[in-house]
Amino acid sequence: MSKLFSRGYSLSKRDLGILLVLGGTVGLVGVLAIDVLDAGREGGIGPSQQAALAACVGIVLLGLTLIPLGRDPA
Amino acid sequence: MTSEALAVDNRHVPGSISTAISHVLMAAALLVLTGYLIIYVAYAVNLMQFPFDYDQGEGFELVDTIMFSQGRLPYQNTNEYPFYSSNYPPLFHIMAAPFVWIFGPAYWYGRLLGFLGTLVTAAAIGYAVWREGGHRWIALASGLAFLASNTIYHIGPLFRQHMTMVMFEMLAVLVLAHVNEVSDPRRRRWMLALGIGLILCAGYTKQLAYATAGAAVVFMFIRQPRRAIAFGLGIALVGGLIFLVLDALTGGQWFLQTISANVNEFYLDQTLGLYRLWFSLHGFLLVPAVLYVLYELYFDRLSIYSVWFLAAGANAALSGKWGAGDSYFATSIAALCVLSGICFARILNQRLGSADHALSRRAKRWIIPLRGPLTAVCMIVIPLLYLGYGRAVLHMPTDGPVFGPVASALGLEANADNGFYDSAGRIAGGYADIGHLTTESDIAAGWQIVERVRAAEGDVLSEEAAFNLLAGKPVITNPTQLLNLWLNGQYDATELVTMIERQEFGLIVLRAQFFPTEVLIAIGEHYEQTESIRMNGFDYLLLEPRNQSAET
Repeated sequence: MSKLFSRGYSLSKRDLGILLVLGGTVGLVGVLAIDVLDAGREGGIGPSQQAALAACVGIVLLGLTLIPLGRDPA
Repeated sequence: MTSEALAVDNRHVPGSISTAISHVLMAAALLVLTGYLIIYVAYAVNLMQFPFDYDQGEGFELVDTIMFSQGRLPYQNTNEYPFYSSNYPPLFHIMAAPFVWIFGPAYWYGRLLGFLGTLVTAAAIGYAVWREGGHRWIALASGLAFLASNTIYHIGPLFRQHMTMVMFEMLAVLVLAHVNEVSDPRRRRWMLALGIGLILCAGYTKQLAYATAGAAVVFMFIRQPRRAIAFGLGIALVGGLIFLVLDALTGGQWFLQTISANVNEFYLDQTLGLYRLWFSLHGFLLVPAVLYVLYELYFDRLSIYSVWFLAAGANAALSGKWGAGDSYFATSIAALCVLSGICFARILNQRLGSADHALSRRAKRWIIPLRGPLTAVCMIVIPLLYLGYGRAVLHMPTDGPVFGPVASALGLEANADNGFYDSAGRIAGGYADIGHLTTESDIAAGWQIVERVRAAEGDVLSEEAAFNLLAGKPVITNPTQLLNLWLNGQYDATELVTMIERQEFGLIVLRAQFFPTEVLIAIGEHYEQTESIRMNGFDYLLLEPRNQSAET
């Protein structure tokens, strides 16, 4: 983590891939958590949530493809 | 030797036939795009001569501007007379305020500012493409493509702040694109400060610019996480301070009117319809822009333009909010014009990416032997893409001595008001119906309404501000803002409803009836329609107190 904020450090494609996987996963959990936290809500996973879930899955998959590209700058 | 230098050294020189065909096609594409510029200028000049609301709500932008010119803030308590407030940040109105001092209340200067903002944005797009791609004709086509977009055409010359926001966003992105490569620390700090300033200008022109601020921070984080923290803090601290000062000066009305009131109901169908429209109009440039983002992601470094395009494209999902529309795509259109232009210019100049990993090495081994035929094909395909774009965004007047014969030759028939063809049709899922030119009869109808307002006794409740302003009467309410607040449970209509029940308004002028339901019910019970005047494609309903009408 200290390296990430060191002077002159730039994200690699691998770093970006990991961040996208983490971000997409957090988003995925967050969108699903709406139904858990907002217990009074009716109708299950709605169309807007489905679109958001699809976007999060897409971000995770994109991140996974970047990880093998290694230290090349993002 | 860098890979870019290698690319230049080994550049394939295309044959003279493909070069000649390419030049002819590019000239044709530029001719078509220049034609749209002429149509855009004609529309802008026409609107500047129209003294009334063209798009609903312009008049309230003028009222905000008048208030700022008088040193007053328009963020007021809407529960009390005159029930007026604004839901937009102040910068655009402050920019227009000096015109009020010189020319008095008028629409033309607000429309002129919006129009000039689009020209600055187009020039900045062209400059960005030229700087990154080094191809002047593609740079020119990119700037013109922005102005040719139906969406930009619709809203560019309106007295609205949206395109001024896009101008500040584009300028901010242009300034920040290479800030990390500046070696002189003093110059770099100045550029960062300028970038922060432009982003704040965009945000204080319209709230939607938060996506561009986010994109800039993400880009800075990718390039230099350490610098991104200082950059993000700079935006947050200065922007937050201005926010707190405005909120304190207005007793909390700033937050209520510009933030809380803008949390409106979301219609997914409207968003999906507008995304479809966005794709159908801009697909010829949108697809290359998306491919270029993927190219940068895997084979080069991500530019701020790509991050900005992704953020703006995602942010356009908010177009499904009540009150939103195609204008929410304007930033993404600017970004896609930049990206597609850079993509085309780099292809034509045979500039390869800088990535050096196994995948990129394999791709280069495959693509370098094919570079010659691929470039020759692209020299033909790229102008054709601009021509295809020109066909997709087709919009023009179908009447008049200049446009009439051209429309006839193209076999176009009007599909909108006042003899206008628009490939966008009616905006998907929305309610805006703009783009046509206004006529003398529209102006005459507007003055007819002004005369009726002037003749009415006492105050007049008008859904558009122009009639009251031109009749010398106070502007009462900003209906859509009342509706925004009411839908959020933050508006108490008691005082306004009481005035309507007491028939304190000599006349009520309605257009879209964007008032809270209880206000509309009170109007229906205590007023009756005595006249309907058609202006600019809309029926303006004139209502008088019921008893008074019965006597006359």
